[in-house]
Amino acid sequence: MSATQTTIITYLGTPIFGICLSLVVFLFGQWLFKIGKGFFLFQPLFVGMVLGIFILWLMAKMFGVDVTWFYTNAYKPGGDIIFWFLNPATIAFAVPLYKRNDIVKRFWLEILLSLIIGLFISLFIIYGVSKLIGLDNNGIASMLPQAATTAIAMPISDAIGGTPAITAMACILNAVLIYALATWLIKLFHLTEPIGQGLGLGTAGHTVGSAKAIQLSSVSGAMAAIAVVIISIVVDVVVPTFANLMGIAH
Amino acid sequence: MADKSNTTQAETKDAPILIQMGIFAGVLFVSSLISPMFPPTFPVPTPVIGLVLLYLLLTFHIIKVEWVDKFATFMIGMIAFLFVPSGIQLTASLDIMKAQGVQLIVAIIISTVVLLVVIAYTTSFFIWIRKTVFHGDISVSETVDKK
Repeated sequence: MSATQTTIITYLGTPIFGICLSLVVFLFGQWLFKIGKGFFLFQPLFVGMVLGIFILWLMAKMFGVDVTWFYTNAYKPGGDIIFWFLNPATIAFAVPLYKRNDIVKRFWLEILLSLIIGLFISLFIIYGVSKLIGLDNNGIASMLPQAATTAIAMPISDAIGGTPAITAMACILNAVLIYALATWLIKLFHLTEPIGQGLGLGTAGHTVGSAKAIQLSSVSGAMAAIAVVIISIVVDVVVPTFANLMGIAH
Repeated sequence: MADKSNTTQAETKDAPILIQMGIFAGVLFVSSLISPMFPPTFPVPTPVIGLVLLYLLLTFHIIKVEWVDKFATFMIGMIAFLFVPSGIQLTASLDIMKAQGVQLIVAIIISTVVLLVVIAYTTSFFIWIRKTVFHGDISVSETVDKK
């Protein structure tokens, strides 16, 4: 290990650097979103992500160390602490779901059928599109499990011959994209029916999509929460079968 | 009737925030014990089990909603920020993006839109079937129907 690396670990290796950087880029994003009058590319999460990656890349170049090494040793200790709190935040969605139990009791069959059949249709389209773009079997296999949360999608991706890191990237970008574009997409495709809207946001945007759905309506939020749970379990079962069917798993 | 519901509303008090956090921690702990019981071919992560567990506890009235409501709302409001490290995690994937990044990102953007739109349209289709074939009630109000 070089002297620069030792210095970096001494001064930036504590969690506080990662926490401060996350806060600074996110707060900057919020400020930009406010003065940009809600321009969709200025969503705090999107700005925070891009700016954070840029700052880490710039610092790594300045110190003359590898970007991935710098990320792992300087940012990750703090980032992991914030990341851990996604656990209780995910559990928290039980509350909006419980509050709209009336909808769950009336529409449970539609919810279940829509998620299973909707996922099957989506898988065919994603497969076709990936093939059309020119991804190889490894790339296609990495795209298929992205409807599940990262912790489920990654091992499935590995099992069907994909690259878990690419699948994780897909899950993360899903969330960031949905958070930034949801309002616009809902208008563009006229997704005004709250149950379908919620299930769609929960499936495509995971927990972040659910947070967006709650801002739209309580029904939408509850449906997004139930989608996160059910779609993950459906992906567990359906995606390996689908991959075998299409002959992309080895 | 309206008066009665108002008084019950006033009587229900939020639990102290530490107790709310305690309930979350407890649910999370139990979930983390359940999660490894699933086989590696059928992974179910801790937060998903926790969501189901807390939902069941609420549905069977073992814990009251006002014992967890405030902390839950706070955590959900924080989600966009909590996701920042996941986004920045992509720094470690810059190498993958260099290799076939454009294709992958295009595929991911299209997949995201496909998932949202297809699931939403499929649901609308099934709700349309309930309405036209079974003549079911499809009205969804923003306030909870008390029956």
